[in-house]
Amino acid sequence: MNNQYNISRRRFLQGMALAVSGIIVPKFAQARTKAFITKSIPSTNEQVPVIGLGSSRTFNVGDDPLGLDNVAEVMRHFIKAGGKLIDSSPMYGSSQPAIGYGLKKLGSAKDVFSAEKVWSWNSGLGPEQMEQSRQYWGINSFDLMQVHNLVSWEDHLKTLNRMKQKGKLRYVGITTSHGRRHDELEEIMKTQPLDFVQFSYNIIDREVEQRLLPLARQRGIAVIINRPFQRGDLIDALEDKPLPKWAGTIDCNNWPQFLLKFVVSHPAVTCAIPATSQVKHVKENMMACFGPLPNKAMRMRMINYVEKII
Amino acid sequence: MGELTSYRLSDFILFSQTAYYRQFEFYNRDIWPLHGVAIVFALMVFYAVWKKPVWAGRGIALLLVVSWVWVALAFLYQRFYQIHVVADWYAFGFILQSGLIAWYGVIKNQFILFVASRLRVKIGSSLLFIALVFYPFIAILSGRSWMQFEMFALAPDPTALATLAVLIFYKVPIVLYAVPIIWTLLSVMTLFAL
Repeated sequence: MNNQYNISRRRFLQGMALAVSGIIVPKFAQARTKAFITKSIPSTNEQVPVIGLGSSRTFNVGDDPLGLDNVAEVMRHFIKAGGKLIDSSPMYGSSQPAIGYGLKKLGSAKDVFSAEKVWSWNSGLGPEQMEQSRQYWGINSFDLMQVHNLVSWEDHLKTLNRMKQKGKLRYVGITTSHGRRHDELEEIMKTQPLDFVQFSYNIIDREVEQRLLPLARQRGIAVIINRPFQRGDLIDALEDKPLPKWAGTIDCNNWPQFLLKFVVSHPAVTCAIPATSQVKHVKENMMACFGPLPNKAMRMRMINYVEKII
Repeated sequence: MGELTSYRLSDFILFSQTAYYRQFEFYNRDIWPLHGVAIVFALMVFYAVWKKPVWAGRGIALLLVVSWVWVALAFLYQRFYQIHVVADWYAFGFILQSGLIAWYGVIKNQFILFVASRLRVKIGSSLLFIALVFYPFIAILSGRSWMQFEMFALAPDPTALATLAVLIFYKVPIVLYAVPIIWTLLSVMTLFAL
């Protein structure tokens, strides 16, 4: 009897503690205590957070000191929130030196997963360009080097694989965007040794679900998704529309989180790389790394809802 | 071609509006006080078109040659190229235009026949006024920092517009219109896409 009383008292106290913590712990703190979502790179099982950071357009600030400090601030909040993968390209103007500035200012060169691209029609210039990129970033070597937009991919892939064998980079990849050249990319994915592939995917543009994403899964290739917001167009189209109440069940408080969780919940997707120049947005995006991911049924519901209101 | 149609103009503009206009701010700061020379250039163009002195055609052509070369090297190549990976091609186009003006206007002295058509004078005068007088105030009128102003002989847009105005006043080979028109269209589309 006495024992029963003790048990129920313990349960009562546990219940009270849970109830009180539910009331007094702020919502953001609750989110922080939820699991941080990472996915593994199939070729090594190394884990990367499902949200990375793109740099196209947003980090291209030239030598503007205010712009450079803003880039560093965005990077600081990205890294502070647990972000790792930062993606850039020689095509993005001054984005590479801006990232280098940020890494130096934050002393965070070792905290990031560096994803770069080689972009040159003259494949002989590839090594020189990659060395220039490395100097801009101010790091010893890149984690991932990708052939940008399939440009001269045959020769560049040979070079990248040689570099990987020599330990000058850890992963090799190839990219496209805007849904272009998918047939060619599919062939490359079928025939070439790749660690990563990058292409565009979002809740509206889902063509890659048919062949590329299943193929990546089948071949054990990690997938980076660019343009998860259609370069902001999706956010613009949805910002005045109501977020469904059921979005709360997957911990989405705003449209960016809703759109990002849709993208990274695909089983073949490793991470998405939204680009932003605003600290507020990088914080919002990184919250998509917490809480449950939508299952298949929920993903269908998300698609139906967005297609209905957009 | 099918692949190209999947692109939008904004896909090629890999910089923000803020970054774009900040380039003018830094450029203006870097080249100060060359703006005084640009004002003298603008006054000389006005005088030559209005008073039509003997040296008008060759003189204006020479001013345009210097302006196009300067914009190509100092703005497009040195500054804009930092944020726009094809700005070196733009610079090449500006150098090409300066070469054409030098050939036809300075060396062959073909900026002679003044076309007095009323319509052309009206169009030319309006364009010239916009390029030389109004353009520098667009930055402040649109709520940007006044330091982001763009002047004839220093910035590409007013230089191209002023050149078109001058070409309208003179009977010149049609090839001279190509680069300024292409640039003006490119610039309008860029500003629209930003």
